[in-house]
Amino acid sequence: MKSELLKLFINRILTSILVLFLLITLVFILIRLAPGDPLQKFISPKLSPELATQVEKSFNLDKPIHIQYFSFLAKIFSGDFGVSYSYRTSVLTVIKNYFLFTLIFSTISFLLQFLIAFLIARFTFKNKDKLVDRITNRAAVVIYTIPSFVLGLFLVIVFSVSLNLFPTSGIESIHNDSVSVLQKIADHLYHLILPLITLTAAGSALFYRYLRDGFSQVSNMNFITSLRASGFSEKEIFNKHILPNAIQPLISVAGIEFGILMGGALITEVIFSLPGMGRLTVSAIINHDYPLVIGCTFIAGLIMIVANMIADLIKIKFDKRLTKELIE
Amino acid sequence: MKKFTLLTLILILLLSLILLRGNYIISLLYLCYVFIKTSFTQNSNILQIIDLPFIDNVSSVLLLFISLFVVVFSKSINKKLQQKINFINIVITLLLMCFLFAPIITVQHPDFQKNISVTKLLHPFSSVEYVRFKNENNPITEKDKLISLYNSVIYKPYDENIIFFDSSQTDTEFKCFQAGEEIVIDKSLLVTDGKEIKIYNKFFPLGTDEFGRDVFTRIIFGSRISLLVGFFAVLISFLLGIILAYIATQSGRLLNIVISRLTDLFLTVPAIFFVLLFLAFFGNNLISVILVLGFTGWMSLFKIAKSEMISVKQKEFFLTAKLIGLNKRELLIKEILPVIIVPVIVNLIFQFSNVILAESALSFLGLGTGNEYSSWGRMIQSGQRYLSEAWWLVIIPGLVLIITLLAINEAGRKL
Repeated sequence: MKSELLKLFINRILTSILVLFLLITLVFILIRLAPGDPLQKFISPKLSPELATQVEKSFNLDKPIHIQYFSFLAKIFSGDFGVSYSYRTSVLTVIKNYFLFTLIFSTISFLLQFLIAFLIARFTFKNKDKLVDRITNRAAVVIYTIPSFVLGLFLVIVFSVSLNLFPTSGIESIHNDSVSVLQKIADHLYHLILPLITLTAAGSALFYRYLRDGFSQVSNMNFITSLRASGFSEKEIFNKHILPNAIQPLISVAGIEFGILMGGALITEVIFSLPGMGRLTVSAIINHDYPLVIGCTFIAGLIMIVANMIADLIKIKFDKRLTKELIE
Repeated sequence: MKKFTLLTLILILLLSLILLRGNYIISLLYLCYVFIKTSFTQNSNILQIIDLPFIDNVSSVLLLFISLFVVVFSKSINKKLQQKINFINIVITLLLMCFLFAPIITVQHPDFQKNISVTKLLHPFSSVEYVRFKNENNPITEKDKLISLYNSVIYKPYDENIIFFDSSQTDTEFKCFQAGEEIVIDKSLLVTDGKEIKIYNKFFPLGTDEFGRDVFTRIIFGSRISLLVGFFAVLISFLLGIILAYIATQSGRLLNIVISRLTDLFLTVPAIFFVLLFLAFFGNNLISVILVLGFTGWMSLFKIAKSEMISVKQKEFFLTAKLIGLNKRELLIKEILPVIIVPVIVNLIFQFSNVILAESALSFLGLGTGNEYSSWGRMIQSGQRYLSEAWWLVIIPGLVLIITLLAINEAGRKL
């Protein structure tokens, strides 16, 4: 058992490195194919030709393309992403600032998605085939379909513009510095309510569908009937048998979802102008800030892979037979 | 009582379109008639009036009559339409009609704007008064006649002959006010109704945007962008997915592994990232959006097609066909595709809704089909700057988008 798990782990790590490598290579190729010379940002026409070549040398752009590629790879895997063109500081410092926000924001949203989906699914499962159940099932489909930018803007129109309840953008009020820590947290939360709803709605609807389908599928199985006949209480059957079996398909979806969330909730961050990874990536792409683009890609890819791996490990914990399947 | 079927709905819509817009259809047909007549009698170069709007208008009128004919007389289509109406087929019918007959449904060009100070940011169901100048120039040659007829029939993004105003006064001269500014116009220049100056009324059913353009018209024309992008991107994904799956199943083990691993790689990284990267670096327009969305959407189709093809490969009819000596293309088109078509179509329908969503999300981020086409996402993007003054700029395209996506998704689920 242990050796199999180890084998799975090594297998996964090797493929992840390969995936990351291909990802970075693809981005490198795209950047080099793109029209426009990144050097032009640093060379003014007044600069003497000697200085211009010196600048070119400092970016390694005078060397042939394959040597550039290899030095680029070596730098990336030693953790040096270079200096961001637009922020003028090291890429890792820039990402660190934005990643902290995304980490907190996305984790809260992810936990909320899970919790809401679970609570509602348990409630409607207990009221199976009643009106509440049917309405919730329909509503989940509708909510899942609503594009997040439409939902976000609708919320802004209703709650910020018409009712004037919540702020439209940002994460803190103007006079944020003079208040205590608790008030600061409250202020942040107050600013994040609409973004959280926007980000959480579609995800909870998706999780709900998976959980609800899982509950009804598992509860129709023979072993549940036999448990019921043996006289176990409904609560025990649900907690010990239905839930662990129904949650499995959800976990791989949740892994992917979590990875995407950590890469930044792009649309939500753009609507509410939040300082997250998604908006950072988009602005880096639009400003042709190549080192930052590569840094964001690398971090996002890494987190996706780690999230998938964690999801697999959790799945194995529920069902040991999966180890073999996953290796193949 | 006979059931109210989809056929009845389509017939009612088509006939009401013909009745309500009969005036326009007849003038367009008359334009065609004059055009053909002049092209036979005159030698001068009159082909120059054939441009995209002209072809678009004429072809929609022709399509209107053809579709009416087909719906009534084609037995198979007639039978297929004898189904009960529901949410899905109503929405899809309306979408298709907007796509095909956009110039007939709307009464103006999607980019039409005039006197912005009066017409900008009007509420839904509001209307504005305007007066019309007399048409002064009297064409002499046949060609000039044709061109002036063309100008009066085909909608254009501008019109010098009308003036919108908030309020007006008629004394010896005609005075009108545009956002506080007074304009004096000579009475003799204006179109009159008997003795009085004729004041027209323009109705904006869904309001106007910040440039005074009619939201309703733009929504109708926006459906064309969404459906066009969706259709072509899905077509590219379909061809790529099927061909790659066929190569992976029919050729050696190595190629199979390489293609499958590459697919897995593309599935781990969110496609939106590459789409953004590509569009930002290489420029965004209608074609590049279609290409990028098509090339990033084939992975799920590939997986489905591959697993289906593997099971087909071992079936006897396939082996027989192979032994008879059909070549690879015939095997794919005649033997495999008909068998796997149902799961593939379901996947394509979901892909279609994904592409429509992706296109509007890209437009929302400013990387969509560009400014010259009024896509729904683009409308939402430009509307978000006016959230406090003009909610309809966001809510209306948003609702249209949601309804479209819901209908397409439901259609996929039902199949």
